Amino acid sequence: MAKKYLLEIIAIIAVFGFVLAFLFTSAVLPGAEFTGSDTAGSSQIAALTGKADTDFAPLIPQYVPPGGEIESALFALQAAVGGIVLGYVFGYWSCQAKCKKAE
Amino acid sequence: MHIMEGFLPAFWCIVWWIVCLPFLALGFVQLKKMLEHDREALPLLGVTGAFIFILSALKLPSVTGSCSHPTGTGLSTISFGPYITAIIGLIVLLFQALFLAHGGLSVLGANVLSMGIVGPLVGYCVYRALRDTRVNIYLTIFLACALADLFTYVMTSLELALAYPAQVGGIASSFVIFLGIFAVTQIPLAIVEGIILALVFNYIIQLKPDILVRLNVFSQEQITKARSET
Repeated sequence: MAKKYLLEIIAIIAVFGFVLAFLFTSAVLPGAEFTGSDTAGSSQIAALTGKADTDFAPLIPQYVPPGGEIESALFALQAAVGGIVLGYVFGYWSCQAKCKKAE
Repeated sequence: MHIMEGFLPAFWCIVWWIVCLPFLALGFVQLKKMLEHDREALPLLGVTGAFIFILSALKLPSVTGSCSHPTGTGLSTISFGPYITAIIGLIVLLFQALFLAHGGLSVLGANVLSMGIVGPLVGYCVYRALRDTRVNIYLTIFLACALADLFTYVMTSLELALAYPAQVGGIASSFVIFLGIFAVTQIPLAIVEGIILALVFNYIIQLKPDILVRLNVFSQEQITKARSET
């Protein structure tokens, strides 16, 4: 039984380990804001060049979501599109496998 | 791993676009051929693409006190190779550049090269190196997916180091600094991603083993053995 679900057990342990690592980091780095590494990378570029972040103007103008909530919604939309496709295909395969068994 | 719009000099934007264009062209040709001759593989293409959509949208906290996102490109590169994965990476990164201001059109070449090409290429090499050995299938999947994720961020660090060498230590010093920001943050995420994708691959093996054999991802014997193990 345990062997049958070995991968699931490892995955659960890994997720718990990940959460524990996050909690540990929060405890030892109380000021950590958990900003994106993209933002940290951009700040590092600014530090290396001696410029302010705001001095880096887009080479090609781009749409910027008007707020954090809109940005979160669009990220959620992206994940949802993936989730719909994933659910559909796994459901389709699952039904196919059941039909094959019934035959 | 996104390099933000405006944060890469025009010269490097053009260089990375030129480097990634042949991979994208090859990807389009392979994808077109697959769509014409192998419609049965489309659902698997959907699944692998869906994982890139989902995982690259998840910003997760890491041990360095900053957040990053997995890439999800490992499954696609194992199933369809790095060239078709480059096309899926392009679609995801284009969506994020146009609607989320993550990345941008000028830096799209650089971002596609790291997430859509170099990461998947490393994952694919790991998978090909281990596929015909006695290494367990799931360990092979785990290593390929985790390293595809990690090397995406190593490549981003290299791209930035080449564009912005440090005054002391030059490119090497700058590379180490960017590795500290991107790759170290990514290590725990890459491990978890490798495990999750190995688990997903297990479900594919259970539900649709024939497609994996037909695409020559693994041999019939390897798939049968893996099915009996779980």
